[in-house]
Order: sequence, then C-alpha cells, then structure tokens
Amino acid sequence: MNTVKEANDVLLDCQNVWKIFGARSSAAVKAVSDRGLSKKQVLQDFDCVVGVSDASLQVRRGEIFCIMGLSGSGKSTLVRLLNRLIEPSLGKIVVKGREIATLNAAELRDMRARNIGMVFQSVALLPYRTVLENAAFGLEVRGVPKDERNETARAALAKVGLSDWISRYPSELSGGMQQRVGLARALAADPEIILMDEPFSALDPLIRRQLQDEFRQLTKSLGKSAVFITHDLEEAIRIGDRIAIMKDGMIVQVGTAEEIVTKPADDYVAEFVAGISRIHLVKAHSVMRPVADFKTSQPHCDVGALLKASPEADIGELIDITMRSDRDAVAVVENGSIVGVVTTRGLLRGVAGMPAGAPSAA
Amino acid sequence: MDTSVITDLFDTWTDNALGWIGDNGEWLFEFIRLILEGTYDGILWLLKLAPFYVIAIIAGLLAWRLINRIAGFLAGVALAFCAFMGLWAETMSTLALVATATILALAVAIPIGIVAGFVQAFDRALEPALDLIQTLPPYIYLLPAIALLGYGPATALVATFIVAMPPSIRLTSLGIRMTPREFIELGQASGLSPWQMFTKIRLPFAIPSIMAGINQSLMMAFGMVVIAGIVGSGGLGETIYGAVRTLDIATSINAAIAIVILTMVLDRLTQSAAHRAKAGVR
Repeated sequence: MNTVKEANDVLLDCQNVWKIFGARSSAAVKAVSDRGLSKKQVLQDFDCVVGVSDASLQVRRGEIFCIMGLSGSGKSTLVRLLNRLIEPSLGKIVVKGREIATLNAAELRDMRARNIGMVFQSVALLPYRTVLENAAFGLEVRGVPKDERNETARAALAKVGLSDWISRYPSELSGGMQQRVGLARALAADPEIILMDEPFSALDPLIRRQLQDEFRQLTKSLGKSAVFITHDLEEAIRIGDRIAIMKDGMIVQVGTAEEIVTKPADDYVAEFVAGISRIHLVKAHSVMRPVADFKTSQPHCDVGALLKASPEADIGELIDITMRSDRDAVAVVENGSIVGVVTTRGLLRGVAGMPAGAPSAA
Repeated sequence: MDTSVITDLFDTWTDNALGWIGDNGEWLFEFIRLILEGTYDGILWLLKLAPFYVIAIIAGLLAWRLINRIAGFLAGVALAFCAFMGLWAETMSTLALVATATILALAVAIPIGIVAGFVQAFDRALEPALDLIQTLPPYIYLLPAIALLGYGPATALVATFIVAMPPSIRLTSLGIRMTPREFIELGQASGLSPWQMFTKIRLPFAIPSIMAGINQSLMMAFGMVVIAGIVGSGGLGETIYGAVRTLDIATSINAAIAIVILTMVLDRLTQSAAHRAKAGVR
C-alpha cells in the first residue's frame, strides 16, 4: 500500500493497451499506431468501435484496484484483456513478469487456472453441481485429487460463511449467497490475482455493502491482489486502494479515493464525485491551515493547548474531536510536532468539497 | 414427351443403380442384416426370458420411481392388459424392434449431433438432408430397404433407424450450441482444456435437450414400426396389417390398443427422465 520500491512488486502491468472491434479492426489498429487516430476518427474512417483506448495501469501485490466506469466505458472489455479472454489489438499486458500475449494455449490455460481467478456478475455457478463441487471446480480442472480439492473448497466456503450449505444446489441459494460461492470458487484455486467483474451489481444494497466489506477484509487477510470492476463510485471507494475512472474506453484518472474526490482530473470525474460524502475520505492534511497562518488570524489562541489529531484523521474523526473540545480548532500533529491546524471553517470546506488549497473549486 | 424421356431415363438409372448396389454390395448388406437382426434377436430373447407379469411389474416400478405411484400402477396394469388380449408376444417383438432401431439410431445420431453442434458448416449441410428425411413419406424407405435386405425385420429396422435419427441429431446439436455464454466464459477463465469444456460444461448443459431428442426419436420409431408391418417386421405392426387385409376389425383394434399402451408407457418414462435431467439444470 505504501511506496513501491521495485518493479517486481507490480503483479499486473498493462501498457498502452487498445482494443478495437470491427471488420476492419486491423487497418484501424495500424492507423492508430501510425497516425494516432482518435476514437471518433476510427469510427468514422474504419467503422470500428474502440472498446479500450490506450489504457495503462499497474496492479501491485496485495492491492485492490478498482476500475470504475458507466456501461459502455470499456471496463468489462479491459478486465477481459487482463486474462486474455479478449485479445488486445495493441499494447502489452504483463502478468507476474510474463507477457500474456506470448503464451501458447496450454500456458495460457495454466496461468488462468493458477494465477488469475475471475468472478462474474452472473456468478455462473454450474446448476447441476452442488455448492461444494462448484467451489472445487477450479481445482478439479487442474486435476487435484477429489479429497484434497474438496477440503480446500470446504475451507474456502468456510471463509465466506457458507459451511452449512455445501451439499445444496445453487438454485437453493439467495443471490448474495451465490455470489459468495463464486468468490469461494475463485479463492479455492488460490490465485494471486482475482478479477471481479461487477460481482455485486445485481445484489440489493444491504447485502452489497456487507459483501463489499467482507470481500475487502478477505482479500487483505489472504494477501491477494484484485481488479474490481464496478459502475458504482461509492463501491469503488469502499473497496479500492486505488481507483481508475474510465470513460469512453479511456482511463481518465487513477488515484486513491481521496485523490479522486479532492482533486478530480476533469469535469467528468468532478461530476461523479460531487455526490460522494467526503466525511470519511478527506483527511486532515488536505483541510488544515499552516500554523503561522492560523496564528496571525487568531493571535490569542494557544496552539499547543488544542486537542490533537494525526494527518490521516478523516473529517468524521476531526468533527468528533472538535465536539469534545471547547475550541473551534484541532492541531494536526506529525512526528511529535504540530504541522497545521484544522478549523471549523476548514472542516465545513472539506465536507462541501472545497479543500483549503482550492477554495474556488466547484 | 420430351420430359417423359427424361423421367424414364432417370427411372432406369435409379433401377440400375439399385441393382448394381444389390449385386456388388451384397456382403455389406448381409453384414448390416446380421448386426440388425442379431441385436433384435438378442433384445427379444431377453424380453421373452421373463413372463409378462415380471415385465409389467418392472415397468410399473420404473414409472413409480420416475413419475408417481398412480403412473406406476397404470403402467403395470396397462402392460398386463396387452397380455390378457393375447398379444404379449407381438407386443414384445414390437418393443424389441423399437428398442433396437432407437438404440442404433441414437448411437449414430448423438455423435453426429455433437459434431454438428460444434461445426456450424456441417450443421448447415445436414439441415436439408434432415428436412428431406422428415418430409418424405416414411413408406419410401421401405422399398429400397426391401430390395437390399429382403422381407423381414432387418428392412423394418433400417427404415425405422432412418426415421428415428433426425430428432436426436437436431436436438443434440441444438443442445451443444445453446450453452449459455457466461458458462463458456467461466470455462475459459478457469483454464479448461477443449475436452474439459465439452465434458464439464457443454455436455451437461445439453443433456435436457438430448433427452428430449431421445424421446422424440422413440416416438418416431413407434410410428414407423407399425408401418413396417407391411414388410414383415413381425410384432403388432404385422398383426394390424394382417387384420386390415382380412378386415378383421376386432383384432386390429386390439393391436392398436396394445401399441397405444406401449407407446404411452415408454413416452412417459423417457419424458419424465428428460424432465429430471432438466430439473438438475434448473
């Protein structure tokens, strides 16, 4: 989660990847690489649709990377490029240091069976198999003996809280439970990377939030990396360590939830984040004022006597601290020294989406 | 008159061709006859091994397990009724004919259907041939068969075999092609080999459709086996044909009832088996 020191921490590297659909896609690809045609020109000149346009992203070990976009933004195409369910038209995808375009059929199958799991929106549980047999599917494909794979599958089902349901059939389970089986199936195969293609989109809000939290917890405790596709920014914020926003096949912005909410790259992203509650996203360091600045406006206030908070405290915590104090300000302390002051005005600005540094932003 | 010359020419050509096939392919047809009649005799021997009430009880138990208690009772009683009408031997030879022709037809049709499900070009080429088989009056198959295999069960079996194949080919091919897309994707994303994709995903999803095809083939075989009474198939078909020629209405009605009973029992049994297969796939 912290700074990346070496390239081998990057599990999945996607470099300038394009996907162009259509009868004349090869000509269109050539035009794109030679002349740098835009998406609109490709559609006009070649009658080809650009699914993914010049997408680059890196997923680090242990990271949950969300790709957020509306329908038609190319996010589902992009995630299928990552395990080569769709062949890229242009660009390079490297998984665990191996470029997947160069793998032959058997190597690709092996990589999909061992290194990259996938969970689908439709869940795709085999209706003629029990929950246990479904969860053991990935291992069965790899030729793991029955007792061994059933034990692993049972453990995976226990992790998602379905131990009592192993001999049932998928049709006997609710939507949320089915999606848990889907997750257990992916986990049982023990891949390093799990691709999640809008897994919770069809579930009702309460179950969805519950599964989001469980998923994040589980992925973190098992040390897996995940690429999580969603059309819901709130979901991306709840789950993702980093978020990529996609629009029209292009990645518009990549960053942490706070970066995206406080510093949207363009109007499109700004519009998206406008409705998002900042209380748990905006941290003290982005709403605090420098100490000197505070002292000039309030010379009578003793900064040292203010209640203290860390720079990583979010607005919710800062409000709590302010409420406990008889002053209207909280000191932000890093490594024992006061690095800034968060005033009530600063908090209000943060909640309204106007960070201290950019008072005029919408 | 010009056209009549052409048709005459075509007719002579057909006759000559058939004659040539009869002369030169005798060993082949003798071989086919051996297989057909061998299987038929074997199944018939098996069916005749047990007295009628044993067969009726077995059918009743099957219907009870697959459908319900009432169906089990009805199936048992109805089959026993065939024996009380004095038509048990004929009923069993009809059953043996249908079983032989259907089993052989399925053994050929299901693999063809599977290939057609995968190879679209083959499926498209097959389509007109199947249309032809299904639209021609079934009597047509009796004539060349009688020329090549002679009067007797073998001819009836070949004609029934041909008529019984198309539904199974079509429905097997359909079943293979209808695998839901998301499950194909699941298979690919899980790293399935092409063979695993077939056995673990495509085939299980195709089972209900294949079962429906088996049921349809069986029904076609029943229809044909009665018509084949004309060529000396033996069994109820021949009984009916004989009764029609001598205007023995009572016997023909008895035999017709026996056929209806046999058909219904087998239809319900295979249909409920198909439904069970479907229930597994929701």
